[in-house]
Amino acid sequence: MALALAASAAYALDVVTAVPIVAMAIAAAVLWPVRPVPVPPAGGGPGQSRRSDGHGHPYRAWVALVAIIAAWELVEYLARGSRGAHPTLSSMLDAVDRIYALKAALFAAWIWLCVWVVRSGRPAPPGAAAGGGAAAGVAER
Amino acid sequence: MSALGDAVWALLGVTALALWARSRRGASEVAPPAQVVRRLATGPVLRLALVAGVMFAGWHLFAR
Repeated sequence: MALALAASAAYALDVVTAVPIVAMAIAAAVLWPVRPVPVPPAGGGPGQSRRSDGHGHPYRAWVALVAIIAAWELVEYLARGSRGAHPTLSSMLDAVDRIYALKAALFAAWIWLCVWVVRSGRPAPPGAAAGGGAAAGVAER
Repeated sequence: MSALGDAVWALLGVTALALWARSRRGASEVAPPAQVVRRLATGPVLRLALVAGVMFAGWHLFAR
């Protein structure tokens, strides 16, 4: 009985997770342009002036950080020993997932991330203000 | 517990926060996260990787 309930709950969680995934795929296919134009580095808005002179790339620091995180994740994943001794991002988030309220908050954050990504890929409406940042660059091209 | 592993993860987290804070300053050479995501989401190939990554993260975290 308990096993059946657990299996049913796991199936329900699979469905609840699959719905946003499918919705995100459909939203991206419908809302995103077929041929997107990458946003230029310079923001242009107030407080968004970025160096694009070739000496300092605005994305360089983020790319470096993500590369280091990915490398460290791999090192920890491949390290011999228990996961507790070599925590990965997944194992740390699993620990968070054991608390129901935190798991719900994490799920909500993931839904928000899905929406944010889809919205970020949409072209800005014609006539969008320059202060709209880089999104305006999509419409300008 | 691994003191080294925990320390490295903490350092990476603090670095991310520092980058985020620095990106909020005017005339900063660091792009804010929103601009980074916008750049990824408007790249012909990068946007596919971004969507796939977000989808995988959700499935990996909640449905396994």
